[in-house]
Order: sequence, then C-alpha cells, then structure tokens
Amino acid sequence: MSVVRSPFTPIRLLMWIILAIGSFVCVFPFYWMVVGSTLNPNAVIHGNLLPGNELWINLEKATKNYNLPLFFWNSLFIASITVFLGVMVNAMAAFGFEKYPSKAREWFFGILLLTLIIPQISIVLPLFKLVAGFFAPIDMLFGTSFGGLLDSSWGIIMPFLMSAFIIFFLRQNFKMFPTEIVEAARVDGSGEWRIFLQIAMPSMTASFSSAAILMFIGQWNSYLWPLMTILSDGTKTLPIAMSSMMNAYTIEYGGLMLIVTVSMIPVLAVFLGLQRQFVAGLVGSIK
Amino acid sequence: MNRKGAFARYLNRSGWLFVTPALVLFGVFMLYPILSSLYLVTRKWRGMTDSFVGLGNFVRMAQDNQFWHALGNNFLLMILQVPLMVILALVLAVVLNQGIRRGRGLLRLMFFLPAVTSLVAYSILFRILLQTNGMLNNLMLSLGVIQQPIGWLNDPFWATITMVIALTWRWTGYNMIFFLVGLQNIDPEIYEAAEVDGASKITVFFKITLPLLVPVILFSAVTSTSGTLQLFDEPNILTNGGGPANATMTAALYIYRQAFVTNSDFGYATAMSYVIVLIAGILAIVQIRLLGDRK
Repeated sequence: MSVVRSPFTPIRLLMWIILAIGSFVCVFPFYWMVVGSTLNPNAVIHGNLLPGNELWINLEKATKNYNLPLFFWNSLFIASITVFLGVMVNAMAAFGFEKYPSKAREWFFGILLLTLIIPQISIVLPLFKLVAGFFAPIDMLFGTSFGGLLDSSWGIIMPFLMSAFIIFFLRQNFKMFPTEIVEAARVDGSGEWRIFLQIAMPSMTASFSSAAILMFIGQWNSYLWPLMTILSDGTKTLPIAMSSMMNAYTIEYGGLMLIVTVSMIPVLAVFLGLQRQFVAGLVGSIK
Repeated sequence: MNRKGAFARYLNRSGWLFVTPALVLFGVFMLYPILSSLYLVTRKWRGMTDSFVGLGNFVRMAQDNQFWHALGNNFLLMILQVPLMVILALVLAVVLNQGIRRGRGLLRLMFFLPAVTSLVAYSILFRILLQTNGMLNNLMLSLGVIQQPIGWLNDPFWATITMVIALTWRWTGYNMIFFLVGLQNIDPEIYEAAEVDGASKITVFFKITLPLLVPVILFSAVTSTSGTLQLFDEPNILTNGGGPANATMTAALYIYRQAFVTNSDFGYATAMSYVIVLIAGILAIVQIRLLGDRK
C-alpha cells in the first residue's frame, strides 16, 4: 500500500505520536541504566537523568565488592562451551536425521520433538536429582568419590548441549542443502564425516550462526537452572550474581547498574552485529 | 544385490553415528529425568528421608489453596497481559509497515531492543525503577501527577499491574516482529485491487489485513499464553518471590519454592509440575489444531 505524501493529516500525526511514545518507552530503561552506572546510589534512586562522574568508582565497586570479572568469566565459559559443543552435536544429529532417512531414526526424531512441549520447571526437578548424584553409580562401583555435578559449570553446560529445537531448526535448513551434492561427493570417494565437515557445514554458515546465537543467549541469560545448582560465590554466573545482589542488605545501585549494563553487552553486540541471523533464528520457529 | 545391501547398511550405520551423541545426551538428560519423575512423584520427604505415598502428593495438591491461587495468578496475568500486548504489537507493526517511509529500520530496532535483554536484567532494572521511593514515583510526584507514591511493588493490586507493564515492555517488540513478517507476506496486489474498488483504509485494515493475519495472531497468542504459564524470573526478582502477599506468586515459582526454599519436597513439587505439563500439552494441541489446518 503506497503512502500518499500528505504533509499533515490527523491519522499521520497519530501514527507519529504512537511511534514516538513507543520508541521512548522501549529505549528509556536502557538510557537510564547506562546513566545509572555513572551515578552514586542516592542519585540512582532519586532519579537523576544526566550522567554523573562516578563511573570509575562504580567500576571499582563492581570489581572489588562484587567480583564482576569472575562472574563474567563464568558466564562466558558456560555459554561458549555450550555453543561450541552444542552446535556440533546438534548439527551432526540434524544432518544424520535429514540425509540418512530411516524409520527408526524418524521415530526418535518424533520423540525428540514431543519433549519440546515440556516446560522447563517440570524437567528441572528430576534433572536436579540426576545431576546432584551424577557419578553415584561410578562411585558405588569403584569406590571413588566424584559425587555429583552441582555447583559446577559442567553441571550447567551438559544438560543443555542437546537441544531438540536446535536440531529441528538445523534439520529444516539441511533440507535446502541438495542431497545430490552429498551423493556426488560420495561417488568421488569422500567419507561421510568429510562430507559433513568439509562440504555440508561450510555451506550453511548462516544457519549455524543463527543456531549459535540462540544457544549462546539461552545460556548467557539462563536463570532457573543455575539458581538451583549454583551453591557458592565462585561458580556464580552473571544472572545469579545480579539477582543475589538485589537481596543483599545494602545495595550499591551504581555498581549494580554497571554490572547489569556489562551483562547486556555481549548479547547486544551479537544482536546489532548479526541482526539478520538473530531474527532468522527467531522467525525460524514459525516457518 | 548383495553390494546394494552392504551400501544400505553402510549408510544406515553412518546415520546412527551422526545422531548418537545427541541421542545419548537426550537419553541421559531428558528421557531418564522424565522416567525418574514417575518415581519421584510417589515419594514424600519426611525430615531426613523420604517414603512412598502413592498418589498422596496429588491428594495434597488438590487441597493446597496456595498452589491453585498461584495457578490462578498465571491465568489472571494471561487474561490481562496477552490481549493488551497482541493489540499493541499489531498496532506498532501496522504503523511501521504502512504508515511511514523514513526511519523504519531504526524504529524496528528500538522496538525490538527490550526483547534482547535478559529476564533477570530487566526485572532488576524495573525493580529499582519502581521502588516506592524510586525514580518513577519521584518523577510523578514532582510533576504533580500523583499526590502519594504508588506502591508498585508493595501493594497487591499495583504489583499485578507492574507485572503486566513489565511483561508488555519485554515482549511487545518480539511479537511485533512476527506481525511484520506476516504483513510482508500479504500480496500487494490484494491492496491494489481494494484501492481500485475504492475501499477506505479502515475497511482495508478490517476486511483484508486483519483476516490475513489471523494465523500469526493465533500463533503469537498461544506462545504468549504458554510463556505466561511458565513465568518464573519476573516474580522471583521483580516482585521478590511472588510478593506482596503472594499477589504475584506463579505456579512455577511456587513449585520451585516447595522444592528449594520453604521445603525440600521434590515429590510434591513434581506432582504440581505434572499439572503444568498437562496445561502445556493442551496448549500445544490447541496450537497444532488452530494453525495446522491453515497451512
């Protein structure tokens, strides 16, 4: 529908008012957050809207009182390992399901999709019991004392490496990769592993970035599962650290605002840098 | 013939090799927990050890008013928030798509920004912003909009409103993207034909745009409903554990607290989580029924 260039009509004015209010409401909290990280606690609460000069003091509080670098590193480690191993495992599975059709595997794929319905709160309860006593059978057999995976980064990584949704998403994208190419490579004497690694994977970088972005954000922002399994300060991720700061007796608002800002930087950077893949992953869920 | 059979076996074996790592992880971290929950749900925690209670946890659940109150809160938030957000997202999408030419990309980016923030981060920001002595109340007091500070987080009524506002802020842009995709998939020729026939813009919107968007609206409504059912981060952080007076206590938060905070009763928590699975399953069937027919 083409818009006739009319300088001033009530409906155009109304549209601009809607857009102006909407964009202000959406962006204001971010502005306030960034400004807040340069203010002292009282000024944050009182509602100063102009930048102050306490950024360095807040940074010092964030690193000394709150140990921001450690939490940042914990989050980064968990999210990166999850992306690295997870994309590999899920891409292999997607490739296997799509390019090697078989009734038995299709049946497994169906069960995989079925579990997408289960809400997180329902699966984490029995999962907690499993992870808490993860090595119990080994310990019993060999008299070792590995115990479980509570309070460990691996306890947060391992349960979320496999993602039925990511497998589904990548499989949809592998459908567009011609099976003829796989067959031609096979005739040329390529092994299956080489076909996957050197032919299929390089031609699907866009889909893999979407999958990697989804997995990274999922782990970076994850709250419920780390909240259950993290027990000590040393293993806390950023979301857990931030939420426990809110429950402290005294809250250093300026330092906290700075930490919240820092916690958003990686996701914002990925979003602004790779908008197309970001939205493709999102919209992929309805296509 | 024999060689063909050997080749088929080779392909089949390769297929299994590719899917095995994922299936092993799926078995350990998904199927095993699901099966073990069948055992967990029959147990009751008694101080130091647990014992078999059969269906006792479900009997207890039926009489637990707090759980049903929490589940009721989920539905209340659903009814208040989902329609509001869907309408807002629709308005924004239509205005962005058809009302303006300049700055469309930038505005779309701004509207989507809240959807990029983590639930924890925005819950913390809103909690600081909405404190009784916080910035929003101070601003409104100094502008004379209100005479007394509003208990955004301390008053049961206002806390519900706060949840609605926060959820709407976080998810409107996200849903707007789906509507934008839906709008762009509408064939422009339909609009041209309507214009030739002399239909007004309002008529075009209600007779053409809206009916064609119904599948996307349904998708958005069902996924949002399912999301509201699982609310956890916001009531735990923004309203500090479902307060005040359990006004924003949700089912997921209540289940978590039964297992980790107030009690360590996993059996009972598991029984309640079965109800959530049941409702999620019904929603999934609704979604497939509503959307499957239209494809």
